[in-house]
Amino acid sequence: MLPADLIVFTAIGYVGLLFVIAFLGDRRARLGRTGFLRSPFVYTLAISVYCTSWTFYGSVGSAARSGLEYLAIYMGPTIVFIGWWFLLRRLVRISHEQRITSIADLLSSRFGKSSRLAVLVTVIAVIGIAPYIALQLKAVTSSIQAIAGASGGGAVSSIEEVWLALGIAAGMAVFTILFGTRNVDAKEQHHGVVAAIAFEAIVKLAALVAIGLFVIAAGGGLEQIFAKAEAAGVDIYTTDDFGSRWVALNVLSAAAVLCLPRQFQITVVENSNESHLRTAGWAFPLYLLLMSLFTLPIALYGLVALPPGSNPDMFVLTVPLNAGQGGLALLAFIGGFSSATSMIIIESIALSIMVSNHIVMPLLLRATQGRGPARGQSVSALLLNARRFSILLILTLGFLYFYLTRNSGALAPIGLISFTGVAQFAPAILAALFWRSATLKGAIAGVSIGFVVWAWSSFLPSFGGSSPEVAALLAEGPWNIGWLRPEALFGLDGLDPLVHAMFWSLFLNATALVGVSLVTSQSPLELVQASAFVDVFRRGAGRSLQLVRGGATAADLFFVVSRVLGTDRAEALFQAEAQQLGVGRDELLPSAEFIDRLERELAGLIGAASAHVMLSKVVSGDDISLEEMMRMADETQQAIEYSQQLERTSSELRSTAAKLEAANAQLLALDQQKDDFLSQVSHEVRTPMTAIRAFSEILREDDIAPNDRQRMVETIHRESLRLTRLLDEILDLSALERGERSFEVGPIDAEQSLDSALVVCEALARQRGVTLRTRREPGRAEVTGEANRLTQVLINLVSNAIKYNSSAAPWVEVASRVVDGHHVIEVSDNGPGIAAEDAGRIFDKFYRGGGTGSGQSGAGLGLAISREIIASMSGTLSLVRREGGASFRISLPVAQATATTP
Amino acid sequence: MDRRKLESAALFLTIFGALLFMPPLTLLFQHEQRVLGAPIELVYLFAAWVALIVAARWLGHRLPREPGEGEPD
Repeated sequence: MLPADLIVFTAIGYVGLLFVIAFLGDRRARLGRTGFLRSPFVYTLAISVYCTSWTFYGSVGSAARSGLEYLAIYMGPTIVFIGWWFLLRRLVRISHEQRITSIADLLSSRFGKSSRLAVLVTVIAVIGIAPYIALQLKAVTSSIQAIAGASGGGAVSSIEEVWLALGIAAGMAVFTILFGTRNVDAKEQHHGVVAAIAFEAIVKLAALVAIGLFVIAAGGGLEQIFAKAEAAGVDIYTTDDFGSRWVALNVLSAAAVLCLPRQFQITVVENSNESHLRTAGWAFPLYLLLMSLFTLPIALYGLVALPPGSNPDMFVLTVPLNAGQGGLALLAFIGGFSSATSMIIIESIALSIMVSNHIVMPLLLRATQGRGPARGQSVSALLLNARRFSILLILTLGFLYFYLTRNSGALAPIGLISFTGVAQFAPAILAALFWRSATLKGAIAGVSIGFVVWAWSSFLPSFGGSSPEVAALLAEGPWNIGWLRPEALFGLDGLDPLVHAMFWSLFLNATALVGVSLVTSQSPLELVQASAFVDVFRRGAGRSLQLVRGGATAADLFFVVSRVLGTDRAEALFQAEAQQLGVGRDELLPSAEFIDRLERELAGLIGAASAHVMLSKVVSGDDISLEEMMRMADETQQAIEYSQQLERTSSELRSTAAKLEAANAQLLALDQQKDDFLSQVSHEVRTPMTAIRAFSEILREDDIAPNDRQRMVETIHRESLRLTRLLDEILDLSALERGERSFEVGPIDAEQSLDSALVVCEALARQRGVTLRTRREPGRAEVTGEANRLTQVLINLVSNAIKYNSSAAPWVEVASRVVDGHHVIEVSDNGPGIAAEDAGRIFDKFYRGGGTGSGQSGAGLGLAISREIIASMSGTLSLVRREGGASFRISLPVAQATATTP
Repeated sequence: MDRRKLESAALFLTIFGALLFMPPLTLLFQHEQRVLGAPIELVYLFAAWVALIVAARWLGHRLPREPGEGEPD
């Protein structure tokens, strides 16, 4: 059997061990060897302060009474941590940037560094947590009594429950004060405490797992435990597990894991590295899973093995005691004690920071007109005393609640009252992080209404068991107003009291927050802070909107800062700034950024609201017409964006219209060309056709002289030939224009083609009395083309030159040479040349030089076809001289292989 | 997966996880039936829990690192 007195000494010894761990942790941290202390696993274990004696003892009780419900308390936090990327990461980043010290500080900072909101949140947190502290006192008290009852003797068993609880509360207070308020850290990080809490997390997990394994072994395996419980008449398939209560518990626990001051302290404030969340995101849910793995088996085994009427909340302890396992029972006691102490330590440290920063500090500032403590008094010492006092206050409230509700039953329902209380911060926190337009008035309205409804429908009814007045109120409502009954507001009865309280408080809370935010507006400081919170990942790291601030003298600033941070730290800050600006320490002119930085440094110690108030006293002309500037900037920005958008749209329209216009013009031109072409073709065809028709009509008559007949047939034949040639040319030209080549190109000798052309033209030249001269330099030049077609072009050019030469002593000169890899043939004459207005059009279809008129016979397609042929051989045909005789030039690239100049 | 997809996966996992623990999905397992000796609803909840932890662990170190996050340990 386990002597009851032994466990008291064990408890004291365990506390001593925690002290040693915390001391060593702090010393390591001070020496800068934080490697182990700052590992993500220590961080995760510390977050497990979520598992208090409610988890350790209460879950088994809850499982024994109402089945799977106990699991919901761990599902909510699991989801929050699985989704760390969206919520926790944001919270941690903002808190690092803004030097947030607590949940009250977070909300106050977001809503314009408001003192009122900070005070409100602090008061609600202190009241809301009292039941939770009471739960721990009750659990530890019950566990000591259970052991004392079992051992049946010793000094402890004779102590009354209330005195025992008072003793425990006092011991805890002393312990926490010694533990958590030895110094004030600028970042409110307590490395030693965190190390001790992480150690406790391992102890409670090990203890619970040990009991679980013992139960599995003693019960003959998992299957046997469930089978025996079922045989003993326990409903192992509780049928209404997943009702509204299940959902409510999930929501509440998810909110609590964010809003409980101790969770915020460990998860956010004590976080030394954002990437630790990557580990905590899965490791904390894993810890929760391990903690609840054996809960149901222990509960069922207890229900079967222990005498009826045993308190299921103490099964974890009484099961090994009943089995005569003294060592295991001692381990269970230490585990439970561990859960309780870690919760009380962190919760009261977190709450004491809130009380000292948001209530004591502002009161002090008000009493001294914002000048801080009198000369010679250190703010640090004052803060420490305020915190010690706060810890006493918090534990006193916890004990009072325990005393007033000592008749109430189970552990879990007490904890749920606190959960519902702190969940009232959740709407404001979500709005703070994600909703830019949430205003201070909205936040205050939401939190206040939520708190009032919670106090009425959840907190007050918990005294029903010990106070007849409250019991009457519950039954009848105040002044017999039925619809104000705490557990049936607005006549909504029939709901589970917890679901009822949660629904009304959070519903009215969120409604007020949104409604009031929509009809009120933000102050300039709120705007700045809202942007810093909501856009925390949008801007470059560390860049934030800055307040426009007036000047302050370095001496005034130093005076304020040194009394909060101490002279050494303040001096270091000012020195660093002076050094960065490259000026002497005495010539330092504080910039707006520097004042901002100082304010954040102060905020890390005394909270955003107090820091702002203190600095505002020495910084003149704070927030100068910032409102005006913001509005102007906002409107200008919008106007610029709008006009840019318009401009973009209209320029797009303009360019589209221009493109359409061009396309239309092109179409019209093509259409016109087609019309011109058709009318020209018709015209060309008509002349020979008319002749053919006229002569054939004459021929149909009989009395025609054979001579005449012969002449007419000749004419018809000649005109038919001309028609055929014309149609051939048109077909040829349109094929060439479409890019179709009716001939094969290959390496040819251009000079040979020129020879052939000259042979043909010589006869014509003689006939017309034109001198045909040649000036040919290359012997051989190979180009890529088709010999007959090239000859055709050359004949066309030379014969034109001969035919239209009206000079008195006409000559035509053909010159050829190789220039820059091109074979160039020039056909020049001393004819009338080409008129300026014709020069641009001589290559057009059906175009005949207007000036010379007389002897023209062709259809005007020759030059057009020639140009197309040369183009299809990759060459060019151009008019190079038009006055004093015309000169055409053909230039064809010389084929690469034989590109040699003789 | 790219950054966007990983973030979407994280969001999906969170919402999906919440749905797994809530009715009506949980109601599917409310039978008087036992798996491995334990009621099926209990086994289901723990199995879903384990799956979420495994998925979160897989995702946790793949999600992109932001500037200012600090170095991993």
